[in-house]
Amino acid sequence: MISLAGRDILHTWGKFVFTGIGLGLLIGVTLVMAGVYRGMVDDAMVLLDNSGADLWVVQKDTQGPYAESSSLYDDTWRGIAAMPGVASATDITYLTMQVRATNHGEPRDVRAMVVGIAPDGPGSAGWPPYLVAGRQITRSHYEAVADIASGFKLGDTLQIRRNRYTVVGLTRRMVSSNGDPMVFIPLKDAQQAQFLKDNEAILQQRRRTAENPAFNRPGVPGLLDAVIASQSTNNYVNAVLVRIKPGYTADEVAAPIRRWKRLTVFTRAQMQNILVNKLIATASRQIGMFMVILAIVSAAIVAFIIYTLTMDKIREIAVLKLIGTRNRTIAAMIMQQALALGLIGFAVGKITATFAAPLFPKFVLLMPGDSIAGFFAVMVICALASVVAIRMALKVDPAEAIGG
Amino acid sequence: MKRLPVQRRTLALIAVIVPLLALLVYVALRSGPLAPVAVTVAQVESQSINPALFGIGTVGARYTYMIGPTAAGRVKRVDVHVGDRVSAGQLLAEMDPVDLDDRIRAQKAAIKQTQAAVGEATAKQSFAQIQARRYERLLAKHSTSEEAVAAKHEELQVANAALAAARGDLTRTHADLQALLAQRANLRLVAPVDGIVTQRDAAPGSTFVAGQAVVEMIDPQSLWVDARFDQIQAVGLAAGQPASIVLRSRSGKTFKGEVLRVDPLADAVTEETLAKIRFKHIPQPLPPIGELADVTVALPALPPRPTVPNASLQRIDGKLGVWRVAAGKLEFVPVKVLGSDLDGQVQVEGLKAGERVVVYSQRTLGAHSNISIVDRIPGVSP
Amino acid sequence: MAAQGIRIEGLKKRYGSGDTAVDALKGVDMEVAPGEVVGLVGPSGSGKSTLLKCLGAVIDPSAGRMTLGDAVIYDQGWKARDLRALRRDKIGFVFQAPYLIPFLDVTDNVALLPMLAGVPNAEARKRALELLTALDVQHRAKAMPSQLSGGEQQRVAIARGLVNRPPVILADEPTAPLDSKRAMAVIRILNDMAKKYETAIIVVTHDEKILPTFKRIYHIRDGVTHEEAGEGRGFD
Repeated sequence: MISLAGRDILHTWGKFVFTGIGLGLLIGVTLVMAGVYRGMVDDAMVLLDNSGADLWVVQKDTQGPYAESSSLYDDTWRGIAAMPGVASATDITYLTMQVRATNHGEPRDVRAMVVGIAPDGPGSAGWPPYLVAGRQITRSHYEAVADIASGFKLGDTLQIRRNRYTVVGLTRRMVSSNGDPMVFIPLKDAQQAQFLKDNEAILQQRRRTAENPAFNRPGVPGLLDAVIASQSTNNYVNAVLVRIKPGYTADEVAAPIRRWKRLTVFTRAQMQNILVNKLIATASRQIGMFMVILAIVSAAIVAFIIYTLTMDKIREIAVLKLIGTRNRTIAAMIMQQALALGLIGFAVGKITATFAAPLFPKFVLLMPGDSIAGFFAVMVICALASVVAIRMALKVDPAEAIGG
Repeated sequence: MKRLPVQRRTLALIAVIVPLLALLVYVALRSGPLAPVAVTVAQVESQSINPALFGIGTVGARYTYMIGPTAAGRVKRVDVHVGDRVSAGQLLAEMDPVDLDDRIRAQKAAIKQTQAAVGEATAKQSFAQIQARRYERLLAKHSTSEEAVAAKHEELQVANAALAAARGDLTRTHADLQALLAQRANLRLVAPVDGIVTQRDAAPGSTFVAGQAVVEMIDPQSLWVDARFDQIQAVGLAAGQPASIVLRSRSGKTFKGEVLRVDPLADAVTEETLAKIRFKHIPQPLPPIGELADVTVALPALPPRPTVPNASLQRIDGKLGVWRVAAGKLEFVPVKVLGSDLDGQVQVEGLKAGERVVVYSQRTLGAHSNISIVDRIPGVSP
Repeated sequence: MAAQGIRIEGLKKRYGSGDTAVDALKGVDMEVAPGEVVGLVGPSGSGKSTLLKCLGAVIDPSAGRMTLGDAVIYDQGWKARDLRALRRDKIGFVFQAPYLIPFLDVTDNVALLPMLAGVPNAEARKRALELLTALDVQHRAKAMPSQLSGGEQQRVAIARGLVNRPPVILADEPTAPLDSKRAMAVIRILNDMAKKYETAIIVVTHDEKILPTFKRIYHIRDGVTHEEAGEGRGFD
């Protein structure tokens, strides 16, 4: 037996391939959509992975440092480091802001998450775990490691608040949960960037303080200076990253910190819950809706195309029936055509999605699992979409082939 | 001839399907988790490195002079302004003497009065002495009585005592005057050394308590940088090490200096070690006190040892190490950092020169990562 | 092949029911011997098409009896379980328009029927090629239907009708789109094939040109057939 579907496709392959490519672009968009969602989840996951922490200690009753703001004194880590099961406790600050590159021509702003890392050396919690170019920060001030997605290059000068930083290293996939590229700078600089007010505010603050008679007493020289100095302290950080010693579980270590330090502690699982389930829940539903719509549109297109292709050969189907072709054979022919269309569409879609993914401003992660699921979904959709055409073909009366 | 149409169509179909399939396979293998991770490798080299410390600090002066009154008072005049160069002994400001000048005048009159009293006592004493001698001679001729002579001697002693008292009085009044003059001089605030006025906190007429500075001045020759080094990195910092200083306002220029001393007290709050860095030559114009400065202190060079870039250091399961590449396979080798320089070179223990380690990678690596060694990670511009 | 050809007795067909019922066939009697070609003529609405559809087993007659070869295929109901197989194996169709399958080449158009019956592809193609050779279109064996002339298409269609060696062939206006010369050629082929393969052929036509070639002609009018002798003139 020859393959009727194959012969038909061969006969009209141009139409078929072009339709397949059109469908493929639609499938490509759907795959990219899934990739966008995966990318968002991955952004959240790499944020957690790259921090290298097992526990996040934040201000009591906040969901910081990523989902909410949190501030702790920068010496809190000392107390935490002494808790049982803690291998290391490291200060860290996170601040999402516009970072300005100032050295080539037009200054340009990039929205970035500025991460202040404690000067404990490469491999410490909070430090970028790997680089793609340059080196890690060696000076305790005015050096930066930027994510390659920011577009900064080695040697660029970045302006963060009042200080300039030289980009000494580049990294990859170091992003905030929003997908903003990270810029790592030394902790002390980051504390200033985050907590030091601008000059005007500092001046106004000094003036207000100087005008307050309680602080500016003629008989007490030095009081005013002391008060002003105490006002411009910036000894805060956003979180303390804790690594735990082997042999302890995260919960075992977290419980005493919560209880005795009166701080909120998140384990990796809890943090993941906050980032994935809470922060991007709405966005993922949004994308889910889009995917459902795209799936419906794809199904409609496949159904329509297969229907049209079947309509075009209704006469031939009548003849085939008249000369004794079984319904099964005819249904299989239509179904095979639909599946072939899906196959071409999927191949084109997968290829376009893969090549288009890097062009998107945000990270698009195409998971092989998603592709496989997508493949089966396309096949099921095509099979379902061919049902209408099959029904119609089966209804064709072989008598129609006999004139009048 | 007759078979040609079918063949041509088949060929065209193959021309479409084959590249499509090839692309699909390529796409499946080259992206996603199946794709190999691009890494760059470097050879471990045994070399000596020049470690350095980087800190920031503020320009300060070793000697700051706070010049103010020793007693509460009102400022009469201030002769200098901020930035004026002054020489030792130059009058900077003067406190209002209030009644001090009048008291000096009164004291001077009192001295004159005392001097007159001394003159009178001297006259009385010399008369008493003459009388006493005369009566002694008369007694020798027995022309007077012994009783009269004794009376004259007594008179002389009284006159002597009166003179001594008057002289003592004179000394006291002189001393009083000196005291007043000293007080008067103390109201003149003069420069103790050559220097520059850094602060002028008063206008004539304002009152100051004792100890409050009216004028602050520094000795510019004593300018230094009060530098702070993170304690983690401040290993080996010692007096006498050469340093280079970059001022924030003159970022293109490096000034030579040296570590004058490492302060015995560290900053417990900021976790920094403090050190004073002296300029070899004081920058001209003088940098403002309080200006931010970067300080790089060169430490003694370390002997040659296996050295890797710091980008290759990773921490896996709490251990610091590097990924060693041998026969296309990755192996995590724990290392101990022995020293590092500011250019990102790290001397480590645990590797041998000639071994190859991963420097940059496209993703986090694992022991089973499939790697492809490249010259440059894709996406990094040269 | 059994020697009995096709015999139809008292075939009736009623469309609809009750007041609106229409009797399309009111009692048709026909008999065609193997190797014989008979004409079937009648004006539009005479029941010609209905008769053809009944014979072709695509609609159900209401009453009567049909015998094909030595088997009764209809007697107040279809005797065969699988009408498709019946159509495929026992009845050949040749239509007014050739209705070749456009996406199959000439050989496969012909070979499709044996293939549907389960004959291996190579065997089916061999049979098809034999027939095409007999019909003198073997030189177009690999062409697509759209590349053939009308006469060639019709010959291929005849080949398809014959390929399963059916005892009966129903030809519906096979000469309508052809000029008289080609029409004659087709009729001649049908006659040749009928003889060669012992097939009973019913040619539905109202083509005046070819009527004289039939030895026997059935007229159908108002659902009733009347047999009359044709001129049986031959083809030259």
